Amino acid sequence: MSRPALLPLGLGLLLALLASGGAASLLWPEARVMDTPRLLSLAGSHARLAVIGAGIGIVLGVALGLLVTRSLGAPWRRPVDSLAAAAQAVPPMVAVALALPGFGFGAAPTVIALVLYGLMPVLRGTIGAVEAVPRAALDAALAIGLTPAQILRQVEWPLVWPLLLPALRSAVTLAMATAAVGALAGAATLGTPIVIGLQMQNEAMLFQGAAATAALAFLADGAMLLAAGFQSRGALPDRR
Amino acid sequence: MRTLPVQPVLAALALLGLLGFGWLAVAPNRLVSGTALSSFAALHFWVAAVALLLVAAVPISPRRPALACAALLAALGVALWASGAAAPPLLEGMPPAARVMAGPGFWLFLLTLLLMLTEAARPAAALRRTMPLVLLAMLAALWFGGALDALSLAVEYRARAPQLQDALLRHMLLSAAALALALVLFVPLGWWGFRASRAEAVLGTTLGLVQVVPALALFGALMPLLGALLRAVPGLREAGLETIGATPALIATALYAGLPLWRGIVVGLGAAPRDLVEAAEGMGMTSRRIDWELRVPLGLPIFLASLRVATVQCIGLMTLGGLVGAGGLGAIVFEGMAQFATDLILLGALPVILLALFVDGVLRLVEGRLARWRQ
Repeated sequence: MSRPALLPLGLGLLLALLASGGAASLLWPEARVMDTPRLLSLAGSHARLAVIGAGIGIVLGVALGLLVTRSLGAPWRRPVDSLAAAAQAVPPMVAVALALPGFGFGAAPTVIALVLYGLMPVLRGTIGAVEAVPRAALDAALAIGLTPAQILRQVEWPLVWPLLLPALRSAVTLAMATAAVGALAGAATLGTPIVIGLQMQNEAMLFQGAAATAALAFLADGAMLLAAGFQSRGALPDRR
Repeated sequence: MRTLPVQPVLAALALLGLLGFGWLAVAPNRLVSGTALSSFAALHFWVAAVALLLVAAVPISPRRPALACAALLAALGVALWASGAAAPPLLEGMPPAARVMAGPGFWLFLLTLLLMLTEAARPAAALRRTMPLVLLAMLAALWFGGALDALSLAVEYRARAPQLQDALLRHMLLSAAALALALVLFVPLGWWGFRASRAEAVLGTTLGLVQVVPALALFGALMPLLGALLRAVPGLREAGLETIGATPALIATALYAGLPLWRGIVVGLGAAPRDLVEAAEGMGMTSRRIDWELRVPLGLPIFLASLRVATVQCIGLMTLGGLVGAGGLGAIVFEGMAQFATDLILLGALPVILLALFVDGVLRLVEGRLARWRQ
């Protein structure tokens, strides 16, 4: 593990405390603040959006990654690579803005932007992981007469999925962070108090939204580091 | 072995865009989406020309890349020109606020065609360099020749041209300033991180944590934080710092660009092979000379790659500057979102993407040149 999970978890809890309605009204006694239940419900829908978007992106990314590394999809390697590189040039906010006219205000533009953002790193991660499968293992599998489907299931996939975990983790973290931007397109997320705070010049709400968004991102990151720690304990060599 | 070839599938997608979805839309004003118009209704027999060129490019693509590129460029040119020419008759008898907009089919066609062009040019190195230039020249000729003037994006552009040019210039200046700030802050820190492993651990963790903070949150949080700071130290306000405007945007963008720059410096300085460094030490070279004559030149490709990543990030992140009053292209995007005006959103968003792609391409070219020159 490159960094302990305790740091992001601790920071997340601290920021969550600071974001709560009670703390904000202590810091800004005269301002209108958002109460804690409302923040929690926004956090719930924020997390739901992020998980849906990242989930679709991950499933599509892994599926496409496996497809372009089969002989059937081999010619698609390069175009997919250049498409992935081009997609990196589209900032999340711009992706949400571009999806807005087609899909209207609400959750849809956010989910689309999240899928796009999850898809590309996962796709690249999958291609990289499949290519890291040793040639000798594939040759041996062919030699004992396994079919391509059996090779994928019994040889490649068990070697590939542990290498995928970092890409999946960063896809979920990225989605948690990016979902905040969805508030600009009318999705109910923790970006909502930020947008309200900017519109009403309310520093308290601006701060609450920012702290709560960061808190959720840190907590998600910490939780996944923790999960990765349990999963990799002793099983995987340290790859760095 | 069966394979799924690229060009036929992409051509089928482009045809789907051309024939399957609304090509243009006629709307009474710039804020509504309007009634969709198929490509047959909009382009008449030119549809056949576009479709023929597109289909013809597929079988010649592998063996005659230049000819395939020419056919695809012609298909694109005819489609754009015919769309532009279709607009004025559609607007006849409509109120002056009426617009002819590009529909979903148009955008699907455009995107897949660009992919097909990239793919067609791939086999020949010379073509990979000339095709984008020819494409740009063709688009410039269509735009400046006035062929697209009646389409809504061009109408919106003419109404906003000075504001847009200012926003583009400001966006570039702000991104460059944020990059400069990040370089000033994080290059020395990278040097320090390479020298001291404790510093590397602490700085790496801190910058990694910054990356986890959502951009919207950092931009938002900097306003109250800067407000508190300026209330505590009023002298800073006289020094030009402010809670709204360029200050929070520059700080937030520089902080995000910090990680790639910092990591690039640390990894780049460590790229010199150990035995080479030991040989240099054995020859009695001072560590200062080892740094400048060994580590820096050998780390150069890594420095450049991290500079490219940071620059592209700065251009994209500066879009959020529109939210905190820094202006730039983000302000145009937000104005378009607030009005639900598709054309205005596109006018803000497309330059951001094109600018990022352009800078990325140029810096990649520099990296390639450097790699070849070193061999």
